[in-house]
Amino acid sequence: MSSLAETQRRFLGDLYGEEGLAPGAAVYRRNVLANLHDALAGTYPVLRRLVGDAFFREAARHFARAHPSTSGDLHAFGSQLADFLASYPPARDLVYLPDVARLEWAVAQAFHGPDPRRLDLDALAGVGEEDRYRVRFSMQEAARLLESRHPIVAIWQANQPARDGVLEASGPERALVYREGISVRVCALEPVPWRFLESVHSGATLGAMAEDAVLGDHVIAELPQWTYCGVIDAFALSPPR
Amino acid sequence: MTLAARVGIGLRAPHYREAWERRPSLALLEVHSENFFGAGGEPLAWLERFASAYPLSFHGVGLSLGSADPLAEAHLARLASLARRFSPAFVSEHLSWSSIDARHANDLLPLPFTEEALAHVIARVGIVQERLGRRILVENVSSYYAFPESAIPEWEFVSEVARRSGCGLLLDVNNVWVNAANHGFDPLRYLDAIDPDVVGEMHLAGFEACEGLLIDTHARPVDDEVWSLYRSAVARLGSKPTVIEWDADLPPLDVLIDEARKAEAVLA
Repeated sequence: MSSLAETQRRFLGDLYGEEGLAPGAAVYRRNVLANLHDALAGTYPVLRRLVGDAFFREAARHFARAHPSTSGDLHAFGSQLADFLASYPPARDLVYLPDVARLEWAVAQAFHGPDPRRLDLDALAGVGEEDRYRVRFSMQEAARLLESRHPIVAIWQANQPARDGVLEASGPERALVYREGISVRVCALEPVPWRFLESVHSGATLGAMAEDAVLGDHVIAELPQWTYCGVIDAFALSPPR
Repeated sequence: MTLAARVGIGLRAPHYREAWERRPSLALLEVHSENFFGAGGEPLAWLERFASAYPLSFHGVGLSLGSADPLAEAHLARLASLARRFSPAFVSEHLSWSSIDARHANDLLPLPFTEEALAHVIARVGIVQERLGRRILVENVSSYYAFPESAIPEWEFVSEVARRSGCGLLLDVNNVWVNAANHGFDPLRYLDAIDPDVVGEMHLAGFEACEGLLIDTHARPVDDEVWSLYRSAVARLGSKPTVIEWDADLPPLDVLIDEARKAEAVLA
């Protein structure tokens, strides 16, 4: 093994550790923790507002030591924060935090995610009636569906910068995160649209969806709104039965 | 692309809208490459706009040229595709390391200045230049810690990297000043060791003093002493495209533009 590797392994281990350091090396430890904290604060602004700066900073420090960064791109840091919070003792009573974190992670991924395509409506109109059951839609790549026992969309919306944080909902919520152009949208879904998009996401054909007990007749009613806002941005034909 | 030796700024997200609406006269907009590594969305949409109006400089903070572990292939691929798409005037990285065993510090850590590290960095710069199909600029970093095994003065190390790899230097004048204070050398001696022909760009930024060390925080105006060193650098090395960097406690855009005008006065 090279001595450069040994030197770097020792130095980086010290930075992530808690032993006392020479004053110069201590500057780097502070920088590393500050950089990782700032990255998390950028990705999880609602979480930070919910728990306050001091709690967030402490949680970020513990998280960084438990899950060191694995990329030179800080936007990739923090994917496991939700799971970490689920077993972080100081957050034990804040049972909604992990799901809020999952929602914020999905928002951040959508922000940098692929631009939605434009659904080819002419090609769709050209699908013959006898082949419609074979149509398999796909959701835009940036879209995410999240299900929670908590009102995560209401929490997220109430804690946007211009809002007062007062919550106007309770109970479970199902969230859709998607992109409209370059803007990230977050909305709560009722059971039917949730089932519809979940079916699309799992690759169900129109034929299979029409036979679904929950969806049934609703399929045709659901379709226009999700193609109009671009959540559904492509389709293909599955092989004939 | 050849640039007239004038001045640009490091462009950060809170300034995008105002910078786009005002379109200030600047020679160059420098952005952190990693902020545009996503597949799409708002960051790349802004970059497309700015690319239509300004020469760009992609300044990477995460490639970790000096790491003893393998180059991050996915990171390099993103950088290569970004550079292909936008053809920036400059692509730069830091003469530092930040990862080992795939664990990252996400900070610009100093190298031990040894023959082993020198050979390693030169080989890595070669790989990156070959992969990008272009010359890169490598920036001298500020440092707060000197490894006991360091055997080569920083200015020789930096010069050798450029000479043997064929890369250019992004000479950060503030970092020379900070390191001269932290490690006790004469900053003019550093400048004298640099080959004027390899310097492709200069950086100016602000530092803060903390517990007996100067820290390169990018959160302050350029210090008077650094302006003076910049004048010496320009006198010795020639007028080079220069970028004002400001990252933390971001001031109004006008403050950065004023700093850029001050640098232009030095180059005039």
